[in-house]
Amino acid sequence: MAMLTYIEAINEGLRDEMRLDPTVFLLGEDIGAYGGAFKATKGLLEEFGADRVIDTVLAEGAIIGAATGSALAGLKPVAEMQFSDFVSNGFNQLVNVTAKYHYRNFIPVPMVVRLPSGGGIRGGPFHSANTEAWFFHTPGLKLVAPSTPYDAKGLIRAAIREPNPVLYFEYKYLYRHIKSEVPDGDYEVPIGAADIKRTGSDITVITYGTGVHWSLEAAETLSREGVEVEVLDLRTLMPFDRKAVLSSVEKTGKVLIVHEANLTGGVGAELSAFIGAEAFRHLDAPVRRLASPDTPVPYAPPLEDAFLPNAQKTAEALRSLAAY
Amino acid sequence: MAKIDVIMPQLGESLTEGTIIKWHKKPGDKVKKDETLLEISTDKVDSEIPSPTTGVVTRLLFAEQATVAVREVIAEIDTDASAKAESGPPAAKPSPAKGSKPAASVPAAPQPATPAPSPSPAASSPSPADAAKGRFYSPLVLNIARTEGIPMQELETVPGTGEGGRVSKKDLQAYLVARKSGGQMPAPGPAFGGAPPPPPEHSPAPAAPRIESMLKPVDGGELAKKFPQPGHEIRQMSNILMKMSEHMVRSVHTSPHVFAVHECDMTNVDMVRRRNAGAFQKREGFKLTYTPFICDAIVRAIKEFPLVNSQVEGDKIVIKKFINLGMAVASENGLIVPVIKNAEEKNFVGIARAINDLATRARTKRLTPSDIEGGSFTVTNYGVFGTMVGLPIINQPQVAILGTGSIEKRAVVIDDAIAIRSMAYFTLAFDHRILDGALGGSFMEAVVRNLESYDRNQVV
Amino acid sequence: MATRVTTNKKSPPAGGRTRGSAGPAAAARTPNGSLAKSDLLALYRYMVLMREFEDTIIRLYTQGKIVGGAYTGNGNEATAVGSAYALSDGDYLFPMHRDMGAHFVRGQSVDNLMLMHLARKGSLTEGRDGTGHYTDRDLRIFGNISHLGAMLPVACGIGLAVKLRKERNVVMTYIGDGGSNVGEVHESLAMASAMRLPLVLVIENNQYAYSTPVSRQFIVERLSSRAAGYGIPGKTVDGTDVLAVYHACREAVARARAMRGPSIVESVTMRMHGHAAHDNAWYVPPKELAAWKRKDPIARFEKVLTGKGVLTAAMKKQLVAELRSGIEKSAAAALDLPYPPAEDALRGVFFEPPAR
Repeated sequence: MAMLTYIEAINEGLRDEMRLDPTVFLLGEDIGAYGGAFKATKGLLEEFGADRVIDTVLAEGAIIGAATGSALAGLKPVAEMQFSDFVSNGFNQLVNVTAKYHYRNFIPVPMVVRLPSGGGIRGGPFHSANTEAWFFHTPGLKLVAPSTPYDAKGLIRAAIREPNPVLYFEYKYLYRHIKSEVPDGDYEVPIGAADIKRTGSDITVITYGTGVHWSLEAAETLSREGVEVEVLDLRTLMPFDRKAVLSSVEKTGKVLIVHEANLTGGVGAELSAFIGAEAFRHLDAPVRRLASPDTPVPYAPPLEDAFLPNAQKTAEALRSLAAY
Repeated sequence: MAKIDVIMPQLGESLTEGTIIKWHKKPGDKVKKDETLLEISTDKVDSEIPSPTTGVVTRLLFAEQATVAVREVIAEIDTDASAKAESGPPAAKPSPAKGSKPAASVPAAPQPATPAPSPSPAASSPSPADAAKGRFYSPLVLNIARTEGIPMQELETVPGTGEGGRVSKKDLQAYLVARKSGGQMPAPGPAFGGAPPPPPEHSPAPAAPRIESMLKPVDGGELAKKFPQPGHEIRQMSNILMKMSEHMVRSVHTSPHVFAVHECDMTNVDMVRRRNAGAFQKREGFKLTYTPFICDAIVRAIKEFPLVNSQVEGDKIVIKKFINLGMAVASENGLIVPVIKNAEEKNFVGIARAINDLATRARTKRLTPSDIEGGSFTVTNYGVFGTMVGLPIINQPQVAILGTGSIEKRAVVIDDAIAIRSMAYFTLAFDHRILDGALGGSFMEAVVRNLESYDRNQVV
Repeated sequence: MATRVTTNKKSPPAGGRTRGSAGPAAAARTPNGSLAKSDLLALYRYMVLMREFEDTIIRLYTQGKIVGGAYTGNGNEATAVGSAYALSDGDYLFPMHRDMGAHFVRGQSVDNLMLMHLARKGSLTEGRDGTGHYTDRDLRIFGNISHLGAMLPVACGIGLAVKLRKERNVVMTYIGDGGSNVGEVHESLAMASAMRLPLVLVIENNQYAYSTPVSRQFIVERLSSRAAGYGIPGKTVDGTDVLAVYHACREAVARARAMRGPSIVESVTMRMHGHAAHDNAWYVPPKELAAWKRKDPIARFEKVLTGKGVLTAAMKKQLVAELRSGIEKSAAAALDLPYPPAEDALRGVFFEPPAR
């Protein structure tokens, strides 16, 4: 057991898998000597050399395509997008080449793309995006979004071992904000398994990533007000844990979905539709969503603060749902 | 012609309906005042309902097995008519129901003199019009109502605390808890189960949702595949059993149970009982049993250790100044736990009379819901089944239950001599959240002392 | 880093899957790259096969038997065949839609390509995709997708794997004059050159991107001159001359195999028909077409071979008859096969490892 920050847990997960499997290698912009824009790959070049921690040209399409090609050739690439925002430059590769490869050719593409996501770091419209919804809609990609150091390490390991392409959404705001015990040994957090981060009987919050922390804080507030909130951390967005969602909804009858990504057409929209279709009889209130409004992420602090959900907004949404 | 309406009685404050089990009279029959007219069932209690007047039954408005809201007219008695079956529809009723297939065809019969205090309509089954009343019910609330057999008209009366007065899941669950507490409590099956919990008086069980999920309906077809006949038999759990499951599990989840078993020498009690048996029966009209001795001993011990007569509310302990002693009684419906109210005010004979009254009425199905409400401590006698030592489960929200084992003659050592004595093992199961072994043991010592210290020559 | 490319575990299609059934695989070549007589005949055979196969595809299309469109490469035979012929065993091919001859050169069977075009059960993609949009890992053929240039980054990835594993294989890929403007082409050349990946990019300049002439696509005289921007060699060859294409590609392949980095070979030719079978190419001036018609790659090579005494009229007649009969048989067999069953549509979005 070691106390690790979220980003240290990612680093350790990468390191552990690279030690375990010689076909695992990393590629991306500034990930080698510089250690990554956020230092997620710090120290890995020194341990594994330039053939396994590869600094690439600044070309996201080529990075993702090269990951796909090397995966087809039998390697296990982990590509880093310097910011999740920049994955749009590699969008065609992901959605048309990578995602459709197995369906068209029955050839697995074992690769991971890491996407430093989210706001709260004063990054403005091009360094703060949450892009999961673009890919949530794309058959053939698995999407994971850890919220804790434990999950971050367990999921990066599971993602690397997964025979299908995995987009690994990691949260810049959490990188150094949270620290927790992480086992030293070999463990993985299975893809497709949600986690109840807090049990409660009155309302279910379904969330992931930064939303988990807002929700946990809000749940404590609500608990003092006599409302017990269950916080279900999806951890995997695609394929999401339908069973866990349904069983929590059946238990509480009220659902708030919280995510940092924009509201319209987000993951929450699908969850909401799914719950409406599959758990209608168990609903005691309309499924509600708390998400960022449908604008780009603004830059100036008061604007970004207004834009982002947080624990207070989550608590308010929960109160309103509790009163329904 | 004077016509008297017979209404569905409200057998308990929170009760809203009753089911007609059996009509003892049919139209045209003569009935005397207080003569049994019908039997009804509210949850678990079966009660015989006496006729409010003498006369001739002119109409029965509901068939047997019909569930009817309280205060609804269920029959009419003509106080003037002679014993002749209705020759025509009673004047007051423009369109009497034909036969006894009632519910849907029952004409609304409000009594002009007594405007209905409840907004519930007369019809007992939901109609399309109900949906148009404008009150919104969530899918979950409707689902619970359907599962619990709550008709729309009753649902309309459930108070809502949600947005705009909406009935929320919590409202309905609280209502159901209250509704059930108005009726006979479920009896525990096995003797070891202890007494079933009386309804919480003020706070509905917060753990209800969890318990509810324990007893999810299982697909019978699937089950039949898994456990095929003839090697298996699959039975639907009755409401009584389900409630028992829920209450027992809740109790075990709520209270860390600790058990203290004490041995009690009942020889003196036995002696007093036998010596007084004849005179007592002559004077009181019923048999003198061990039970009043034990109850009396418990009541006196509770006065010494009032903490066992309490309940836990959050971080507070609510100590009851009254002693409402619940007492498990075997009936054909299973175990029922009628409550001796204010036992602390009663002397030995008072307690004995209360016990006899409750036991008799339990056997004859004349217990009222209030008879089983509000217990603050419970005693369960599994000794009658030959059980020597039992480990009963606390009757929530109480914090202790005392179980009595069989009374048997055993060789015991008294002053280094072997003697033959009537012995019994008593078990106190208590809630270690607030009671510790010292207190539990002391309380039990007091009970035992109270019983062993009877003077053989005492007249009761 | 020692994992070999594993084979594509698939049962062979019912129509049979004979590798290179329509001709021999790349024949023995002299060490200096000059071609033996058998090589010349093989080149000729692949070019004729490509044209005969595609003519059949067009016929099947007009008969309503082809699913979707029919994209063929009349005029591109020398480019497709000459380039692929420069590869050796173990090399990788990323062909485009006018490179049917390259598939054949690298060992793909007529049967498999017929099944692909007819979207039959047992095709390499089990009917999920058509034309040359397939990947055959045994043959190391990674077919294109409709997005032009999209496979170039993937080709870089294969090249990267080759380099990391210190293998000696080459990745050959293609782009058209129109597709050469796609961003991923630039990204891939930037990456391949910076990393010195063993890549050969053949730019097939066939004058039209769908209906848009090259004059509206770029203003450089030669697309190969773009190579200078990456610091890599770029050469423009007559794309109607199979030997010129072959030799230029041979040079580029040798450079790649020596791990000296990528090259561009621009092969200039003409698309002798519309973008696809539905397009009559009305926008192409007849004069222009007539001029290119005189430079038909197959006729041109025939002249060379006849002049050298390698090919006779009888040999040609026999070859064409043999190829046609094989293609006809293959088409008939494929047409007899059913489409994949509807329930198959939902299968295979993800790879599911067999349960342990």
